Amino acid sequence: MTTINREVTPPGDLPENPKRLHNDLHEIWGNPRGLKALTIVNHTTLGLRFMITGMVFFLIGGLLAMLVRTQLALSDQDFMTPDIYNQVTTMHGTVMMFLFAIPMLEGLAIYMIPKMIGARDLVCPRLTSLGYWCYLFGGIILTFSLVLEMAPDSGWFMYTPLSSSEYSPGLGSDFWLLGITFVEISALSAGVELVVSILRTRTQGMALHKMPLFAWYILAMALMIVVGFPPLILGSILLELERAAGMPFFDVAGGGDPILWQHLFWLFGHPEVYIIFLPAAGIVSTLIPVFAGRPIVGYGWVVFAIVTTGFISFGLWVHHMFTVGIPQLAQAFFSAASMLVAVPTAIQVFVWLATLWLGKPKMKLPMLWILGFLIIFVCGGLTGVMLALVPFNWQVHDTHFVVAHMHYVLVGGMFFPLIAGLYYWLPLFSGRMPSETLGKWGFWLTFIGFNTTFLIMHWTGLLGMPRRVYSYDAGMGWDIFNLISSVGGFIMSAGIAMVLLDFALHFRFGKPAKPNPWNADGLEWANSMPPSAYNFVSLPKIETRHPLWDDPDLPRTMAEGQHSLAVATHGRRETWGTDPLTGKVREIIHLPGNSWWPLFAAMALAVVCLSLLTRLYPLAVIAVVIAGLFLLRWSWENGAHPKAAPDARVAPGDPPLHSRTMDGPGLWAMSITMLANGSFFLSYLFGWFYLWTVSPEWRMPEVSPLSLMGLLLAGGSLTVGAGILEKLISGLRQQRDAGLSLGMFSTSALGFLQVGITLWVLLSADLAVTENSHDAIIMVGLAYALFHGGLGAVLTLLQGLRVGYGYVGAHAPFEPAVVAQLWRYNVATFWIIVGALAVLPRVIGS
Amino acid sequence: MNIVMQRLHLTHPLHFVIGLTLWSAWFVTVYGGHAVACEVIPPDPEQGVFTLVNALLLMVSLAAVALLAALTVGCYRMSKRHAGRLRFNARVSAGLYLFSTFGVLFAAMPIIGIPPCL
Repeated sequence: MTTINREVTPPGDLPENPKRLHNDLHEIWGNPRGLKALTIVNHTTLGLRFMITGMVFFLIGGLLAMLVRTQLALSDQDFMTPDIYNQVTTMHGTVMMFLFAIPMLEGLAIYMIPKMIGARDLVCPRLTSLGYWCYLFGGIILTFSLVLEMAPDSGWFMYTPLSSSEYSPGLGSDFWLLGITFVEISALSAGVELVVSILRTRTQGMALHKMPLFAWYILAMALMIVVGFPPLILGSILLELERAAGMPFFDVAGGGDPILWQHLFWLFGHPEVYIIFLPAAGIVSTLIPVFAGRPIVGYGWVVFAIVTTGFISFGLWVHHMFTVGIPQLAQAFFSAASMLVAVPTAIQVFVWLATLWLGKPKMKLPMLWILGFLIIFVCGGLTGVMLALVPFNWQVHDTHFVVAHMHYVLVGGMFFPLIAGLYYWLPLFSGRMPSETLGKWGFWLTFIGFNTTFLIMHWTGLLGMPRRVYSYDAGMGWDIFNLISSVGGFIMSAGIAMVLLDFALHFRFGKPAKPNPWNADGLEWANSMPPSAYNFVSLPKIETRHPLWDDPDLPRTMAEGQHSLAVATHGRRETWGTDPLTGKVREIIHLPGNSWWPLFAAMALAVVCLSLLTRLYPLAVIAVVIAGLFLLRWSWENGAHPKAAPDARVAPGDPPLHSRTMDGPGLWAMSITMLANGSFFLSYLFGWFYLWTVSPEWRMPEVSPLSLMGLLLAGGSLTVGAGILEKLISGLRQQRDAGLSLGMFSTSALGFLQVGITLWVLLSADLAVTENSHDAIIMVGLAYALFHGGLGAVLTLLQGLRVGYGYVGAHAPFEPAVVAQLWRYNVATFWIIVGALAVLPRVIGS
Repeated sequence: MNIVMQRLHLTHPLHFVIGLTLWSAWFVTVYGGHAVACEVIPPDPEQGVFTLVNALLLMVSLAAVALLAALTVGCYRMSKRHAGRLRFNARVSAGLYLFSTFGVLFAAMPIIGIPPCL
C-alpha cells in the first residue's frame, strides 16, 4: 500500500467534490489488473472468487452425482466398476460438503457482511486472501485425485478401519486427509475474521440488537466453524500419522479404537449440517421481510433460535452412531437432544410464516425459491425427527432413506435459499436483473426433479436398499424406484443448468437494475451496483434495523460523503472500529493493502501438502519453514511499519488508529483463533481420555515415561516468561516502554528454554510410538506443546526486533498484547498437558 | 440473592451463551460421567434404574435445572427494569435460559426410566 500522508480534511468540512473523493478512494482501494490481480485482498473481489470457484466445484460434484444416478438407474449395471463407483460417491459427498457448500456460503458472507454492516472491508483482508488460495489449491489437489483414478473411496466420512492403510493402501485416503485439512485452513480463516468483523467493524450506532439478522446468522456460523472444524482437523492429523508413520490411534491391536474416529468426525460433522443451514436460513430471514414488505415478526425470537441451534447442534453427534453399540441410556440422551433441535428450527419456520401472513408477499423469482425451501426443508426436518428415534434409526441406518433425508435437509436447507439469495443479490453483483422466464423454468425443473429423485428414495430406503452399493439384483424390487430417482436427477440437472445459464446470460442481456430494485431495507443496497472496492464513500450512523426503509435518501447522502470517514488524503484504507455491544466508535481500523504474502504462503503450504502426499518428508520440512517465513514477513508489515500506518495523524475529534490502542481487531482475532485452538486441544484431551477409558487394548505403562521434573522446569520457564510479558504490557498501558526490547528478548529466551527442555523430555522418554497408542498420543501432545512454545518464542523475538525498529513501543503498544494472548494460552495448555499426561497417570495409574 | 443477580450483569449479551454453555457442560458431564461410571462401577443389570449411577446423574441434572431456572427468573425480572438494548438482551437471555432448563429436563428424562449400562 502507498501511504500518501497528505493533510487530513479539516473536521466539519464536507468534501467539495464528491467525485474527487471517489477518485481518491479508488486510488487507495482500487484493484490492480494483470498479474498483480493475484495480490488483491479486497472482500468484494475475493467473495466473488470464492463463489465462482464454489460453483465450479458444484458442477464437478453434480457431474459425479449424475454418474451415480446413471449407475443405479437399472439393476445389474456395469457402467462403472465398484472401485470407480466408490471413488465417485466418496468424492460427490466430499466435493459438495467441503468444496461447495461451506466455501460458497463463506464467499457470500465475505462478500455481503461488510456491505450490510456499513464497513469498507473485512477486518483481516490478507487472511481472506490466504483462505481463498488455500481453498483453491486444496480443492485442486483433492479433485485431481479423480483424474489420477486415485480418489478417496471410503465414503465422505472416511470411517476407520476402511480408510486405514490396511484396507485403503493407495493414496486415496491421503488425498482426502491432507486436501481437506488444507481446505479447512480456508474455512477457519474465514470463520475467525467474520466473527471479528461482525463484532468490531459495524458502523457507528449499529448496536447488537440493531444488527441485520443475516449478520447474526453468519456470526453463529463463523463461531461454529471455529469450534466445530478443529475436531476433524485433529482426527485427520491422527489418521494421516497412522497411515504414514504407523501410529496406532485407531487400530485396536495397538491400543487405539476406530470409534474414536467416528466421534471426532461427527463432532465436526453434525454441526457442519447447521453450519451450512444457518447462513441459508439467514438468507431466508433477509428476503422474506423484503418481499412481504414489512419487518420480520419476532426479531428476538430469531436471535434466540440462532443461538439455540448453534449450541444444540454440538450435542447431537452420537445420533450418527446409534448402531455402534453405545449403551441405551446414552443413546436416549442423544435422541432427546436431537429432538430438541427441532424447536429453534420450528420457531424460525413459524416466524417466516407469520411474516408472510402479516405482510403482502410479492411472488418475485427469489420468493419462488424461498417457498421451495420451506416445503422441502420442513419435510427434511420431519424425517430428521424420525431419525432421532433410536428404534427407527436402527431400522433405516445405512439405507437410502438416510440419503433421502440428508438431501432434503441439505439441498432444501442450503441450495434453495442460496439460489434465492443469489437471485436477490444478482443486481448488486452486476447491476442487472435476471430473466424471470428462465428463472421460473429453472426453479420448477429443479423442484420437480429434486422431489422425483429424493422423495422416491425414501421408499427405496424403506424397502431396504443400502447406501453405497454399486449395483443391485433385479429381484430386489428396487428397480422402478431407482429408475424414477435417476430420471428425476436428470430433470433436476436440467433445471440447475437453466439457472446457471440465466446467471451467465444476465451479465450481458439482463435489464439494467434500478437502485434498490427490490425496495429492500438493508444497507448493502446503498452501494453502487456493481459495488466499488471501498463499498461506501462515507459511513453513516445507523440506529435502526431498516436503514433504507427509514431513510430512503441514505444511499445518496452516503455517496456524497455527508457521513463519517469521508477522508482519503491520508492514503490509508480505513473503516470504523466500534464497540461490539453498543456500536459506539472506539477507533479507526486501518487495513492492509494488496499483498503477495498470502499467495506465497498458500503456495508453500500446497508444497507441504503435495510433499506429504508423495512422502517427500525433507521437502515438506523445507516447505513448512518457507511457509513460516512468508507468514512472519506478512506479520512484519503491520502497525507502524512504513507499509502499514507510520503516520498516526487523524482528523481532530476522530478516535485514534487501532494500532495506537491496546484493543484492536488483531487482539480479537487472536482470541477467536485461540478458541479454535482450544477446541483442537479439547478434542485431543477427549481422544486421550477416550482411549484410556474405552479402548480394549489400551496399555498404560507401570511408570510414566515422561520426566515430571523436566516438565515442571519447562512449565516454570514458560510461566515466568509469560509473567515478564504481562509486566511489559502493564507498562505499555501506562505509556511506559523502558526496557521493552530487553524484556521481549528475555521472554523469548525463556520460551526457547521451555522448548528445549520439552524436547529433551520427549526424546528421553524413548516412546514406542508405532507400537502403542499411549506413546503415540503422548508424542502428539508434546509436539503440540513444542509447536506452541516455539511459536510464542519466535513471535516475541520479532516483537523485540520491532521495538528496535520503532514499530512497537509506547506510541504503538498494540502488538505485544496480541502476542500475550498466545502466551496465556500456552501456559494454560502446557500445565493441562502436564496434568493429563504426566501427573494423572501417576496418581490413578492404569 | 438480589446482590448475586446484580453482580451477574444479566443484561449483558454474554448471557446469550451462558445458559446453553451450561446445558452443554451438563450434557458432556452426564454423557461422559455415565460412560466412565459404567467402566468403573457398573451396576448389576437386575437393579434396573435404581442404581447409584442413575441417582448421581439425576442429582447433577436437578442441580443444573435449579441453576438455569434461577437464571431464567433473574433475567426475566431484569428485563422488566430496563428498556431498549438492555431489555432486549435480558429478554433473549431469559428465553435462552428457559430453553436450557427445558433442555436439561427433557434430555434427562431417560435417567428415570432406563438402566445405565445396558
